Amino acid sequence: MPIAADVYQKIVRAKIYIDENFQQPLNLSRLAREACISRYHFHRLFSRIYRMTPHQYLTQKRIEQARLWLTGEDHTIIEICNHIGFESIGSFSTLFKKEIGYAPRDYRQLAHTKRQQPRSFIPHCFIENYGLDIPGAKSNIQEVSPQ
Amino acid sequence: MITKFSHVSLFVLDQDKAYDFYVNKLGFKVHTDAKMENGFRWLTITPPEQPDLEISLLTPLAGGMGYDEQTKEAFRVLLEKGVLGAGVMHTPDCLATYEELKAKGVTFKSEPKEQFYGIEALITDGVGNWFSMTQPK
Repeated sequence: MPIAADVYQKIVRAKIYIDENFQQPLNLSRLAREACISRYHFHRLFSRIYRMTPHQYLTQKRIEQARLWLTGEDHTIIEICNHIGFESIGSFSTLFKKEIGYAPRDYRQLAHTKRQQPRSFIPHCFIENYGLDIPGAKSNIQEVSPQ
Repeated sequence: MITKFSHVSLFVLDQDKAYDFYVNKLGFKVHTDAKMENGFRWLTITPPEQPDLEISLLTPLAGGMGYDEQTKEAFRVLLEKGVLGAGVMHTPDCLATYEELKAKGVTFKSEPKEQFYGIEALITDGVGNWFSMTQPK
């Protein structure tokens, strides 16, 4: 059965609320209140529209933000854990590793290494053909003429 | 045998605005965002459910790009006109995504319409490109 336009707008309002407030403590009751519908209907409709539960979406937003902050050097891992709404560093690290494949500390180290070695992540064809001025990326490709 | 794309380029007028559009509004994920000392920025994003496809958001007008002035000017004209059609994105629910993106200030070239292959709306990224946003049948 199709979802009515006004119901779409209610669910979207709650999703945008998550986008803007994922660093705060959020629960299903708070989100359902934002959408002005019952907890049961909110959970059912959100899951149907976005193919994930509100809790899964909230976790995804938090982990993604943590990933972005870990690639920089502005926050310690404990600060990141607190900023994105996790109460314990243990649960944050476990979930981050499950979702991203690396522990937060290892992910930060990997990002640091990549920044030091641009050629390790920029395909050489891009450097060569766009004439990118990348440190340590002098051309080593010869133009090949068609036979 | 070629199996898949791993990297594609998307030329944009402004990388900060492109970041806001694709990451903050559309929900794409940042794969790499590395700024070089000479001003060049290697910014790649991935669609939410395609983590192995890196889309490189490149500004042909920026420092570090090796284009001559004539080529840069040609890019600038095309990007400012917004005539570069860049592809088809899939969504599980076109109407919900339309409502969400509209609320986030995204500009649409056309509202969701029934097509023989699904429901489709056209969006612009505001930095030179337009896309189809399709809910396939």
